[in-house]
Amino acid sequence: MHTVLTRANAILAYTLSVSACLTFCCFLSTVFIDYRANATLNTVKVVVKNVPDYSASREKNDLGFLTFDLQTDLSPLFNWNVKQLFLYLTAEYRTETNEINQVVLWDKIVLRGDNAVLDFKNMNTKYYFWDDGNGLRGNKNVTLTLSWNIIPNAGFLPSVSAHGSHTFSFPAEYTTSRV
Amino acid sequence: MNACLQALRSVPTHMDYDGQARAEKLSRVIITLFGVVGLIWGYVIQQFSQTIYILGAGFVMAAIITVPPWPMYRRKPLDWQKPQTEAPAKTKKKK
Repeated sequence: MHTVLTRANAILAYTLSVSACLTFCCFLSTVFIDYRANATLNTVKVVVKNVPDYSASREKNDLGFLTFDLQTDLSPLFNWNVKQLFLYLTAEYRTETNEINQVVLWDKIVLRGDNAVLDFKNMNTKYYFWDDGNGLRGNKNVTLTLSWNIIPNAGFLPSVSAHGSHTFSFPAEYTTSRV
Repeated sequence: MNACLQALRSVPTHMDYDGQARAEKLSRVIITLFGVVGLIWGYVIQQFSQTIYILGAGFVMAAIITVPPWPMYRRKPLDWQKPQTEAPAKTKKKK
């Protein structure tokens, strides 16, 4: 501590140690919080087509189209250790070839400070609902679930599923007209 | 020019041992205090960035108060003994 430089070095190092300690305290204060919330999902229009999947095998696969309603209030999820939420909507179903199929249909980033009370009506999906075969037509048990990743300042990156999902079925006939 | 340099050199820039110890202790106290206050304030308003800004203010304050060798860190100079006049005579004899 006998020169200006050693003193400056010492206080800088100590400040960094303290900031690491404070960040850990911030993590500890939020680690046991339950980040689940309720969401209400509903499908409006559901059709299924049988078209060639040029991105994969060029064979005709089932392609689902749907529009959905989504209502949820995510504002209680935000605290001083949450920077943003990454929401994603998955469809889960069972086919003869696969026990579990999961397709992400839609996603959204909610920053802290954004309106976290979501109320969407008749939304289109962002991503194609391809099946890797012909498992969608007449499928009676397709479940939509909303989940989210919590992006924190420090700590874990939890993936949480909402309470409340919606189960719907695809029609038994292919749609041939334009959707 | 020379006079200027000499005037500059005559400005004391050292801290005595007691001053160094006090500077270190003071910087630790200031930074810890700002850190604790920042943590409480950040928790109250739920903004972790405010915690870091307050800690940064503590760093700046500690840098201003304890990094430059202020005169208050020079109050207990060491008591050096008077130079002994016999010593040089002895070395001369050996030669």
